[in-house]
Amino acid sequence: MDFGFSEQQQMLRTSARDFLAKECPTTKVRELEESEKGYDSQMWNAMAELGWMGLLFPEEYGGSSGTFMDLVVLMEEMGRSIAPSPFFSTVCLSALPILQYGSSDQKEHILPKVAKGEEILSLALTEASMSLQPSNITSHATLDGENYLLEGTKFFVRDAAVANHLLVVARTSNKENPKDGITLFLVDAKSPGIEIEEITTMAKEKHSVVTFNKTKVSKTDVIGQVDQGWNIVEFIMQRAVTLKCAEVVGSCQAVLDMTTQYAKDRIQFERPIGSFQAIQHRLADMLIDVEGTQFLVYQASCSIEEGTPSDLQVSAAKAKANEVFQKATLDGVQIHGAIGFTRDHDIGLYYRRVKAAEFAMGDADYHRERIAVDLGL
Amino acid sequence: MDFKFSEKEEALRRDIRQFVKEEIPPDWFAVMLEEESRDEDWAFAMSIARKLAQRGWLTMAWPKEYGGQGATLFEQLVYGEEVGYWGIPGTSMGVSGVAWVGPSLILFGTEEQKKQYMPLIASGEPDGVWCTGYSEPNAGSDFANLQTKAIREGDHYVINGQKIWTSAAHRARWCWLAARTDPDNPKKHKGISLFIVDMKSPGITVRPLLNYGGGHIFNEMFFDNVKVPACNLVGEENRGWYQLMQALAYERGSVGSGLCGSTKRILEGLVSYAKETQYEGRLLSENPLIRQKLAERAIEVETLKMFAYQTIWKMTQGAIPVYEPSRDKAFGDQVMERLAFTGTQVIGAYSQVDPGSKYARMKGSIERLYLFFPGITIAAGTDEIEKNIIGQFALGLPRSY
Repeated sequence: MDFGFSEQQQMLRTSARDFLAKECPTTKVRELEESEKGYDSQMWNAMAELGWMGLLFPEEYGGSSGTFMDLVVLMEEMGRSIAPSPFFSTVCLSALPILQYGSSDQKEHILPKVAKGEEILSLALTEASMSLQPSNITSHATLDGENYLLEGTKFFVRDAAVANHLLVVARTSNKENPKDGITLFLVDAKSPGIEIEEITTMAKEKHSVVTFNKTKVSKTDVIGQVDQGWNIVEFIMQRAVTLKCAEVVGSCQAVLDMTTQYAKDRIQFERPIGSFQAIQHRLADMLIDVEGTQFLVYQASCSIEEGTPSDLQVSAAKAKANEVFQKATLDGVQIHGAIGFTRDHDIGLYYRRVKAAEFAMGDADYHRERIAVDLGL
Repeated sequence: MDFKFSEKEEALRRDIRQFVKEEIPPDWFAVMLEEESRDEDWAFAMSIARKLAQRGWLTMAWPKEYGGQGATLFEQLVYGEEVGYWGIPGTSMGVSGVAWVGPSLILFGTEEQKKQYMPLIASGEPDGVWCTGYSEPNAGSDFANLQTKAIREGDHYVINGQKIWTSAAHRARWCWLAARTDPDNPKKHKGISLFIVDMKSPGITVRPLLNYGGGHIFNEMFFDNVKVPACNLVGEENRGWYQLMQALAYERGSVGSGLCGSTKRILEGLVSYAKETQYEGRLLSENPLIRQKLAERAIEVETLKMFAYQTIWKMTQGAIPVYEPSRDKAFGDQVMERLAFTGTQVIGAYSQVDPGSKYARMKGSIERLYLFFPGITIAAGTDEIEKNIIGQFALGLPRSY
């Protein structure tokens, strides 16, 4: 039993925190929110130089063979700074499954470029219903000689407009069990027949609706086995969910720090408002919430590292993270009072990101249902 | 980072489970057992205490020379989890002796005191049962406000005053008493001392206070010119508050481990019940609302477990836990409360049936939990006090009271 971080992880945390504080203060976050691409190429390249994109890749692909927990540490710091970038889409949603399930050609072709910051990826999974059930995957790919023809529309594909490749989840055959017959494709995002339409959201994350109109995809661009793609979706699910939760934990920690500082500084009735129990107990609750979520994330991460993740552990982290992020930001705004409700105040940056995190890879109801199944209900 | 237990710790877990199989009735579901209340329960608890003592588990945390095993904190954690999960009776012998009297004597007691009292506790004998005289009618959350006086007269102290909420006083052979030895000191923390009081001393009156379930756990205690030999003072005169806080800091670390065992057991009980029980033409487990509620409780039980583990881990790093036990207590209280409500929701009208009735479900354990949990959020530090501690010591906020 050990809750400690390795020296390497501590160094990674410090360097990430310093880098993001310097390169992406909240003024920069606001600037990027309004930009077309949604990220800063220079910062992206610097992140690659720091070795972040290839953190988990072996050396042959330009990585440093880090552990999953290293990535958790990094995601916490990204969540703290809310630096906008296509990191989650590229690394967490896409590069990890390519590393696990991709052919050597695919890995050689894609991963070194990811590590260098020259390749942006994203996952096209959910459709108009936004359901994560395999039965609701209606996009389909039909074999036509050496190619598949991809048809369908994917919703809330993050960073699609700037992506070089998309991982597309499509049905290749209709089987009795809706989990069977699904395949993942590695699709050049600039292929003919792809339309990308931006969905503007309150967090200003770059989401899109992506339509595939008989888009040609070579047979060699199948990731893993034909018809066996849902296993890969489950693989992505457990990892990306855990990493998203780590990001949320970092954001919540920032909200707790910011709000605690405000409660110490803000004087009313000739004393800091943090000396009132009504304020103090709210902050104590926030600490309990945030630390609890953090430990669930660490538990899930360790299990993933050991290759034995359970749905209970992963989904517990996500269901809790969703609710804690909401409550922490709302209480944060309340404790800041009216100043916290202005567009200019940083607490609002976090409040506006709650729903993006909540609906990324499943809301709390969805994850509680997964837990129920895991409990044997 | 790694959350696995060592082989030695897992072996202990297996040994405890084997012990449970051999010594505890198979249908035992007593997560809320009030063992001090009824004579037959107390007798059973004490018989188990002796068996636990024989295996060296009762006081495993103590050093070997005082009848312990010098168990590691993680071994204590495993023991705490299993005790909570299986509801093993007799593990605390009225709470005080095992948990803080022994550890305090190691820190502050004289050699004579250690020799006289610690082996009695470690052997699980009735003469090793203690109660703790801390709370008073006007010293609850503001515990330093205690008014019971101990005035030195020659070779003894004379105690006068009243204690309340004294658990197991009616079963105890000794009382671990905090009393004011310097009533003139204007700093109320500075005039308090700790004493060992023989419960057979003339002048002590114990009166029962019944809880919601009708159980007799705690008591009122009256001290009317009770004479205590001066050699029964523990540590330094007037330093009692600081001694007590130091001993408490170690003891409080284990708050979470028992709770995470017992909450897990209740949750598992509810899951089994939902899978076996038909309602309106389908199993309760097929009702999405019930599924969601039980999943919520599962998340909380997992969280509580991680809190308990983290607090213990921090102690293994040589740190005295400052706010973590308060976090674990405040959160654990909530988990209990929500389990009680989800329990009554799952079992419905039958959740109000007494454990003795043939109509009771899950052996009436949810009824017991419902009657018990409001006390948990008050005992050993109210929710409000725990949050004050978190505010002040974890977040660095100004003292709020």
